[in-house]
Amino acid sequence: MTTEAAAEQARSRPQWGRALRTSGTLIGFLAIIIFFTINIPGTFLSLPNWLNISQQVSMLGVVAFTMTIVMVMGDFDLSVGSMASLAGIIAALLFRDSQPVLAGVIVALAVGLLGGLFNGILVSYIGIMPFVATLGTLTMFNGLAFLLSGGETIFGRDIPADFSSFARGGIPIGSVGERTLLFPNLTIVALIVLALVWLLLEQTTLGRRLYAIGGNAEAARLGGVRVRLLRLIAFMLTGVGAALGGLMYASRVASANPTQGAGLMLDAIAAVFLGMTMSEEGEPHVLGTLVGVLILGVLDNGLTQMRVDSYVREILIGAIIVAAVTSSSLAKRGR
Amino acid sequence: MRRSAVIAISLCIVMALFGAAVMAQDAPTVAVITPYLAQPGTQFIVEGFQAAADEKGWNVNVIDTAGDVAAVISRIEDMVNQGVDAIVINVDPAQVAAGLQVAADAGIPVFGMDAGSDPLLVTNVTSNGYAMAAETATYVADRINCTGRVVMFVFDPYPPVQKRGIIADAIFANCPDVEVIDRITPDVNDGGIADSRAQMEAVLAANPDAGSISAVWAAWDQPALGALQAIEAAGREDEGIVIVGIDANPQALDAVAAGGNFEATVAQDFSGIGAATADAMERMFSGETISQSVIYVPTVLVTQANVADMLDN
Repeated sequence: MTTEAAAEQARSRPQWGRALRTSGTLIGFLAIIIFFTINIPGTFLSLPNWLNISQQVSMLGVVAFTMTIVMVMGDFDLSVGSMASLAGIIAALLFRDSQPVLAGVIVALAVGLLGGLFNGILVSYIGIMPFVATLGTLTMFNGLAFLLSGGETIFGRDIPADFSSFARGGIPIGSVGERTLLFPNLTIVALIVLALVWLLLEQTTLGRRLYAIGGNAEAARLGGVRVRLLRLIAFMLTGVGAALGGLMYASRVASANPTQGAGLMLDAIAAVFLGMTMSEEGEPHVLGTLVGVLILGVLDNGLTQMRVDSYVREILIGAIIVAAVTSSSLAKRGR
Repeated sequence: MRRSAVIAISLCIVMALFGAAVMAQDAPTVAVITPYLAQPGTQFIVEGFQAAADEKGWNVNVIDTAGDVAAVISRIEDMVNQGVDAIVINVDPAQVAAGLQVAADAGIPVFGMDAGSDPLLVTNVTSNGYAMAAETATYVADRINCTGRVVMFVFDPYPPVQKRGIIADAIFANCPDVEVIDRITPDVNDGGIADSRAQMEAVLAANPDAGSISAVWAAWDQPALGALQAIEAAGREDEGIVIVGIDANPQALDAVAAGGNFEATVAQDFSGIGAATADAMERMFSGETISQSVIYVPTVLVTQANVADMLDN
C-alpha cells in the first residue's frame, strides 16, 4: 500500500464512522416508513396520507422549530404548551368581543412575545435556571389561561368562521376521485416557520452566535457576544412560536380551551432531542428537529392505522425515542 | 451502529407482532375516538359499545387522545384514510368539525355517543334531558300531592340544562296548588354547590315558618346538594322538604342513600348509550337509513328503593 492510499484510507474511515453515527436516526425513520408501507399497503404511502401527516404535525412543528432556537444555547422553555393555550384563549376572547380576526391573532402573538420576554428576563438578566424559570411561567401562563376563560372552552358562534376555516383550507393541488386534494394552510405556515428558523440559525451571524453560546457561554461572552441580549431574543422567538402554534391549534379545533396546548411541550422537546442525535456535535439543528417531528407524527399516524392500542402506542413512541438517543450515544462512545 | 440496527430490527419485530395480532378478517371495522376515556361516564359508554360490538363480531379500535381534541381530528383523518366502516366519537362535534368534514367527503359514517347533535353525524345517541326533568318534577309533584311551595334551581344560559327547567315549569304549572316561590340561577363558577347553598339560606330566611317550603327542584345535582346543606345547617331537615337533583353524581347518590331530604336524582344509562349506538350502527350496516338525528336512551330515577344498586355499579 502506498503512503498516499494509506492516508486516503485514514481520511475516509472517520468519515464513514461519522456518517454512521449521525444517520442512525434517519435510518430508523426510513425503517419506520418501510415498515408502515408494508403493513399498511395502499394508504400509508399515498399523497393524501402525507398531506394529512403534514397537517397533523404542523402545530407541533412550529413549536418544536422555535424551541430549537433556545435549545441551541443549551436552554429549555417548558412554558410553550401553556403559552399555546393562553394564546388561543386570548384570541378567542377577543373574537367573542367581536374584534376582527386579524386583531385577535396579532394580540395573541404579542402576548407570546411578551411571555417570551418575561422568560428571557428571568433566565438571562436575573439568572434563574431555565428549567426553574420556565416551570414557574408554565404555571403562571396556565393559571392566566384558566382565569381569563373562567375554566371554560370557548367555542361555537364565538369563534368566527374566517378563523376556523383557515385550518380546514389549503391550496388545491389536484384531485383524488371526486375529492379535491388541498395543500393544507397549516402545513404552509409550518414550512414558512421552518424556513425562517433555518435562515436564522444556519445563515446569520445571530445564529452562529447562538451556537457559540451553546458551545461555551463564557467563551462567547469573552469573545464579544452579547450573551444576555441574544438569550433574551431567543426566548422571545420561542414565545412567539408557542403562541402561533396555539393559534393554529385553536383554528383546527374551532375552539379554545385553557389546557389544549399542554401536550405540545414534551413532544416538542422530544422532537428536538431526536434531531440532536443526527448531529455530530450533538447540537440541535432545525432540520434535525423536522425529522424528529416527522418521526413522532408518522408513528402516531401509522400505529393508529394499524389499530395499535393507544396506550401501547404511547409506550412504543417513548421506547423509540429512548432507543434513538441510546443508539446515538452508544455509537459516539464507541468512536 | 450495529447496536442501533439491532434495536431498530427488534422494534420492527415487536411492531409486526402487534400488527399481526390486530389485523385480519372481513367483519366491519369501527373506530371509537374520544379524548375523555379517563372519565368514568365515558368509560362506561365505551365499554357498553365494545361489549355490544364484540357480540356482533366487529373489530373495534378504541383510541384515546388523552384530552387532546386536535388529536381527535388527526385520528379521524387517519381512520378515514384507513377506510374503516364507521367512526364513533365522544366529543363536541363542533370542535372536531374539520375531521367530520373529511369523513363526510370520504363517505364514512360518523356516530356520536353522548356527543351533541351535528348535521355531519349519522345520529347522536344520548339521554333525553326533557325526560330526565319530567322524572324528577313528577316525583316532586306526586310527593307533595300537587300542593305546596316549590323552589327551583335552573340554569338557562346552558341549553342542555335550560330544557330541563322548562319541563319542570310545565309540570308545576299543571298543578294549580303548586306555587313556585323562587326560580334561582346560581353562580356556577365555584362548582355550583356553595352559591346554591347561600341562595337557599336566603330563601329559608325569607320563609321562616315550618312547612312554608315544600320542595326544592334542582336542574342538576350540585344546587340540590347546596340546598340540602342549607336546610341541614338551618336545622330544618325535619320539615319534610323534598329535594331532587339530576345526574346521579357520587355525592348525590350518597345523599339519597343517607335517607335525608335529598330523595331522588336521575342516572343516565351510560353503557346503554354505548349499546344503543352499536345497534343503530348495525341497522345502518344492514342498509337501513337512520332518520333520527338523535336517539335517546332511557334514564333511571334513583330513589331510596334502588340507590344501593347504583352505588354497587
